[in-house]
Amino acid sequence: MLTSAPHRIQRVELRDIVKRFPGVLANDHVNFEVQAGEVHALLGENGAGKTTLMRILYGLYQPDEGQILIDSRPVTIESPADSIRHGIGMIHQHFMLVPSLSVAANVALGLRSTREPLLDLEVVKERVRQLAEAYSMLVDPDAMLWQLAVGEQQRVEILKSLYRGAALLILDEPTAVLTPQEVEEFFVTLRRMADEGHALIFISHKLHEVLSISDRVTVLRNGQVVKTLKTADTNRQELARLMVGREVLLRVKRKPVQLGPPRLVIQDLWALGDKGLPAVRGVSLEVRAGEILGIAGVSGNGQRELAQTLAGLRKATQGRVLIDGDDVTGWAPDRLIAQGLSYIPEERMEDGVIRDMTVEENMMLEDHGRPPFARGIFLNFSAIAEHCDRLIGDFEIKTPSRRTPLGNLSGGNIQKLILARSLSRTPSVLIASQPTRGVDIGSTEYIHQRLIAQREQGTATVLISEDLDEVRNLSDRIAVMYEGRIMGIVERDEATVEQLGLMMAGVPMEEAAGQTG
Amino acid sequence: MRKTYLVLATLLLAGMLLAACGGAATPAPAEEAKPFRVAVVMPSAINDLAFSQSMYDALSAIQAEKGEENFQFAYSDGLFVVDDAAAAIRDYASQGYDLVIAHGSQYGSSLVEIAPDFPETSFAWGTTVDTFADQGVTNVFAYEARSEQGGYVNGVMAAKLSESGIIGVVGPIETGDAKLYVEGFKAGVAATDPQAEVRVNWIGSFSDVALASEAAQTHINAGADVLTGTAQMVTGAIGVAKERGVLWFGTQSDQTSLSPEIVVANQVYHWEVVLNQMIDLIESGTLGGQAFAIDLANGGEVITYNPDFDLPAEVRSLAEDTVKGIADGSITITLP
Amino acid sequence: MIQDLLAPAVLIGIASSGIRLATPYLYATIGETFGQLSGVLNLGVEGIMLMGAYSGFYVTFKTGNPVLGLLAAIVVGGLMGLGMAIISVTFQAEQGISGIGVYLFGLGMSDLLFQKSLGTVETVSGFQPVEIPFLSQIPVLGQIFFRHNLLVYAAFLLVPVAWFVINKTTWGLKIQAVGQNPAAADALGVSVSAVRYATVTLGGVLSGIAGASLSIGLLNVFQQNLTSGMGFIAVALVYFGGWSPVGVLLGSLLFSLVNALQNWVQVLGIPIPSDFAVMMPYVLTILALVFAVRKVTQPAALTKPFERGEG
Ligand SMILES: Nc1ncnc2c1ncn2[C@@H]1O[C@H](COP(=O)(O)OP(=O)(O)O)[C@@H](O)[C@H]1O
Ligand SMILES: [Mg+2]
Repeated sequence: MLTSAPHRIQRVELRDIVKRFPGVLANDHVNFEVQAGEVHALLGENGAGKTTLMRILYGLYQPDEGQILIDSRPVTIESPADSIRHGIGMIHQHFMLVPSLSVAANVALGLRSTREPLLDLEVVKERVRQLAEAYSMLVDPDAMLWQLAVGEQQRVEILKSLYRGAALLILDEPTAVLTPQEVEEFFVTLRRMADEGHALIFISHKLHEVLSISDRVTVLRNGQVVKTLKTADTNRQELARLMVGREVLLRVKRKPVQLGPPRLVIQDLWALGDKGLPAVRGVSLEVRAGEILGIAGVSGNGQRELAQTLAGLRKATQGRVLIDGDDVTGWAPDRLIAQGLSYIPEERMEDGVIRDMTVEENMMLEDHGRPPFARGIFLNFSAIAEHCDRLIGDFEIKTPSRRTPLGNLSGGNIQKLILARSLSRTPSVLIASQPTRGVDIGSTEYIHQRLIAQREQGTATVLISEDLDEVRNLSDRIAVMYEGRIMGIVERDEATVEQLGLMMAGVPMEEAAGQTG
Repeated sequence: MRKTYLVLATLLLAGMLLAACGGAATPAPAEEAKPFRVAVVMPSAINDLAFSQSMYDALSAIQAEKGEENFQFAYSDGLFVVDDAAAAIRDYASQGYDLVIAHGSQYGSSLVEIAPDFPETSFAWGTTVDTFADQGVTNVFAYEARSEQGGYVNGVMAAKLSESGIIGVVGPIETGDAKLYVEGFKAGVAATDPQAEVRVNWIGSFSDVALASEAAQTHINAGADVLTGTAQMVTGAIGVAKERGVLWFGTQSDQTSLSPEIVVANQVYHWEVVLNQMIDLIESGTLGGQAFAIDLANGGEVITYNPDFDLPAEVRSLAEDTVKGIADGSITITLP
Repeated sequence: MIQDLLAPAVLIGIASSGIRLATPYLYATIGETFGQLSGVLNLGVEGIMLMGAYSGFYVTFKTGNPVLGLLAAIVVGGLMGLGMAIISVTFQAEQGISGIGVYLFGLGMSDLLFQKSLGTVETVSGFQPVEIPFLSQIPVLGQIFFRHNLLVYAAFLLVPVAWFVINKTTWGLKIQAVGQNPAAADALGVSVSAVRYATVTLGGVLSGIAGASLSIGLLNVFQQNLTSGMGFIAVALVYFGGWSPVGVLLGSLLFSLVNALQNWVQVLGIPIPSDFAVMMPYVLTILALVFAVRKVTQPAALTKPFERGEG
């Protein structure tokens, strides 16, 4: 396969970019610039317009207004093929890989072969090996993609771009899928590429990552550039303020709470994943009243299936679950709800709410059949209205009214509604699965406060999150899940990032403690 | 929305074309004297050289005899999907046809539901002997062909002409008209040459021409030198017979034109014999309840001989004697 | 009785009959494999086969030249494939429904044209069996493999060719990528639409030839609904074959050989009710599907239209 002759881009500039989607101004006169040799971070909350801006640069979207200049020459980029020709590569938030093909075939896809129309995978493999070595990214070119771990897949993505001679690399939230150790290795690779004269755009909403890897930061909020600054001249607090638009608490305060007896007991629980293979493999946990047990782990290690099994949405193939001493294994969701279980689902739009129904109706999904909201078979509308209005106020849900269709609310407000619904019932056990994923910092802060406060009511909370910072901030104890098993449980005060990171990569707790201790 | 319209348009276009395949054989002229109007629904094409064509030819013959001003007919052919046929039957009935013919055994269960809804309309169903009288239905005629009679005559000739003593039959599904024909054919062979062997291959389909052709290949590879078969998919078998140079006996319609070299004779149906009886009854006010049959005696079944085939005179006269014998009852066919 | 089935002449008869019957399936399944690998399910194969069968027959009937007939079938099949591509790729219509639309169109149109142009069942002299010199003289094998018409040979040659194209060419790589993850292919500058147009049109061409292999190859007649469901069986055989040319070859042969076998079972008078005999090919194919160990999964984007920017 031929790669275009490696050429350097000195400067790429986006001028006054405007992009509208129906009802959303995703990019509002955005100016952005990146130079060879630097890592330029693009920071912003979910929905700030980062991905949209980069998709425009990569030719996946067309801007409504504005200009793109490469080395001061205006260019039009109509498709990814154009941007690849200009030396731009993009690592997408969701990987763009073909699972059924080998690494080499994934790299070769779309390139001209030296023996057109025949494939020349041998040539590709050789070159992939060279590149992998040069950037110390170990990948076997013969491996099938579906066999690779997420971190390896990401390396394939980067190799794909390097192979095409990308001089500018766009990385859209690349660390979301990595363990802390992998992030470190990854940053070494990025640094090396920048030092070689590549221009890198690093998209993230994680402040510490931006601070540790970038040379400059551009902060985006509501589609607009707030500011571009030198990383060396700023700090966490300032970046957080620019990103959210007001002062934020970066760490929630926790009052100590007296722990009660175990309310949720899980004994040797097994469950199958969607593909029919065991996804939860012998999980045993105990959560006490007033306690938050965090479950950390890289996505896809059985957390989702565990949450669903606990919520009664997936069948346990083995093991027992007890709530307040009652064996609830295999109970249907309605019985579990009656038993005091609340569930904040990961797929909130699918499992948590009904888009086309109103805020009020969504609020009552679980409780509409019980007094005081129902009298016999009739709904008590005044009680419902009162209850909803109170929750909307209490949980700071921004909605025009309780009669607004839920689909019109932002992600953060929808999540607050689910939280309000769950917590207003004072649950005995709360399963919170990725409660702040895709939620803006403001709402995240609020949700965290409520989860903490809930401990005082004696709720036993299981917090499942892929955001290690979130788990560390909120939990009393942290369990790490890897390939369906619990690698160990660490007390809040003893948990170091290094140890958790090793456990997330499958190292048992004692060993991980030894390596980092 | 755009997509939905497109799909809809495609489907409508397709539907339109399908509908266009049937249609009225004569444009209905606005006449003073009301003509007798017949509609027929058939499972295969009007030119299938078999079952459906025999009905189409019969209706055309009646029209030629009575004149367009007195007799008109419309048809829908190719309705191998019973639900489509049921819809067509209902349509015709509601359009006020005097007689609606459901030409296919598979249509019976639909007809028994439709007929009571149109007590003023007369229906005919074939091939069968069941008029649904036991279910209280009074406006359905039944008709059938005594196809074992022509089958017997064909069998007599086949036995005489086969040198290998092996005769192959390609049938659709072992039921109704086809089964009757094959049984008669076997009886004819057995009566003429008890040593001869008749091998039957039911291919399980009325339309699978490719499988019919391979069934014929198989018969010939296994030693057959005379073949016969029934239903519209036998065109595939006739092609093979021609290619491999073995003899063929047809039934339902005259299949000589397909392969004048090897077709010996055909049993041809003339439904007009029973249709005319039905029309007379309808005009005198009886709308159903009687069963009819065409046979060699009433002229509803006729043996046609291929003029281009050099049939030995002795065989020809034996065949003609057999026809006479069956017609006058001196030959009786015992079916298993 | 049963041992009669093992006589050499019978075995040869079954094998060569199976090969003839497999021919239309091979064209149709390989064409459909290309389309499905790229993510387009075309349920209209049957309709395209009918149109190919009719046009091939009609042109041969008028000109006496089956090669011209074959060309007509190719053109008509290609145009119908192109039509399916326009509906399913450009307009992104629901593929199952548009495929049924294509089927109904082909069924109705071929019959309408047949009624208007020919009016009755006619015969032509299509592709005649060609005995391949020397090879056809090999005992047994010669009788089985080397005494067929050109369309039969070509169908079997198509299998390695298709395998090679899918696995060894850049185009094949694009087809697989577009069917598995169109967004990924798009992001690498591969035109998803262009690939799908090409595969669906190719599928149409091959379905057209499949029809012609009946009307001017095996049967030399045309009549209403000539294919009688073979196109739908072909789509099923693509699933059976796990979207690989070798797989669909095995599926087509299995189905056809069992059909040939049951013909002999009946002709030899082996006492099995004919209703059971004719079900054998279907039952055995389903059993093979159930019991065969299979790792393949269907193309992830099968039946899903692609629109940039969803990912
Ligand atoms: N294809 C699209 N259609 C409609 N709206 C979109 C589309 N892509 C993004 N948006 C909207 O544009 C805004 C910016 O989104 P995005 O660029 O993905 O943000 P970020 O990457 O910063 O999280 C959001 O409100 C999002 O809902
Ligand atoms: Mg994004």
